[in-house]
Amino acid sequence: MSRDDFDVQGFARDINELLILSTLRACAKHGYQIALDVEAESNGLFRFRHGTLYPILHRLEEEGLIKGSWSKEGGRRRKVYKLTGTGKRHLSGETDRVQEIVSRLMLVLRRPGEAPA
Amino acid sequence: MSAREAGAFAHVLREVGSGLTVPLPARVYILRELAYDLEALSERFAAEGLPLDEARRRASEALVPDAGALHALDRVHAPVYKRFTAHITPERLRLGERWALVLVTATVLVTGGVALLQADLLDQASPFLWPVLAQGALLFAAVLAKAFQLWIKRDHAVPWRGLNAILALVCSTVLTGFVGLNLDLYRLASMIESSPDLASTLTPVWLVRDTALSAASLMIALAGVMGWFILRQWLAVTENDQREVLGIDNTTRKRGRKEYA
Repeated sequence: MSRDDFDVQGFARDINELLILSTLRACAKHGYQIALDVEAESNGLFRFRHGTLYPILHRLEEEGLIKGSWSKEGGRRRKVYKLTGTGKRHLSGETDRVQEIVSRLMLVLRRPGEAPA
Repeated sequence: MSAREAGAFAHVLREVGSGLTVPLPARVYILRELAYDLEALSERFAAEGLPLDEARRRASEALVPDAGALHALDRVHAPVYKRFTAHITPERLRLGERWALVLVTATVLVTGGVALLQADLLDQASPFLWPVLAQGALLFAAVLAKAFQLWIKRDHAVPWRGLNAILALVCSTVLTGFVGLNLDLYRLASMIESSPDLASTLTPVWLVRDTALSAASLMIALAGVMGWFILRQWLAVTENDQREVLGIDNTTRKRGRKEYA
């Protein structure tokens, strides 16, 4: 991975996308369930507030990484998202990439330095 | 979701709807998805023991898109045409669209004209056939422009504008054909009255030209009505969905069109 490959600002966005893809790995879910599961699985570290979830979901759907479909529950129509084959491959590849980035970051952060004078 | 069910979050959804520039029907889908999630999440919070008002407030806080999220949704759902023409200034784009419309209309007119000439319909045409064909060209351009605006450009800021003009052109085409037919028959009757021996010669020719006139005006009007009907139905169904999601009663339909279109 070269220096040009890594976009620090885009990394946060990538993390949000990966969290959504990851929570859809087990089964199909609708919008707020995805948000609650991401929050629960990360012990409250990652939270989607103020509707930030929807642009990410819709972009992932447009890119074909997830697929949305409408179903009826109690007379109300809801949109349920599931992970596509492309999404699964993307998640796998991106998980490896994030792992590498975090490993390199930790190497830098834990590098033994000179003791302060 | 019924109007009654949407009630609790109707004002929130209307605010979101007014902040979105996403084209129809994607705007309706976003609002519908949000409506379900708001209801379901607030019910869940309420089931966990929160008072209903607090449950709704927390659900809104979590799910209702802020200005940044609305802008991101606008970007995600921006029409392909808008993305391709983003670098062109609005003035140049408008000029280009008008020229394209003129070009397409002219091409169809030339093609149709050649077909008419080959069918010998214009050999002894009624003078009223020309205004009927001119109105047909205008009608074609009007339907084409509206379809382009709704389905390709996907500019739904004022979706109903121009539909009545299509219907007016349809009526005027039929009227021109009807008036022309009657005037032609009146002239034929006058000529036969003054020269009865010409009746056998004039009648078949005039009947052919008047049949061509009435057939042309009716066919053009029928095509125009079909175009108008398809455009109108699409808008009506899409807007009805939007009203349903926003909890707007059908009795307030006209007001709703102005406020939430």
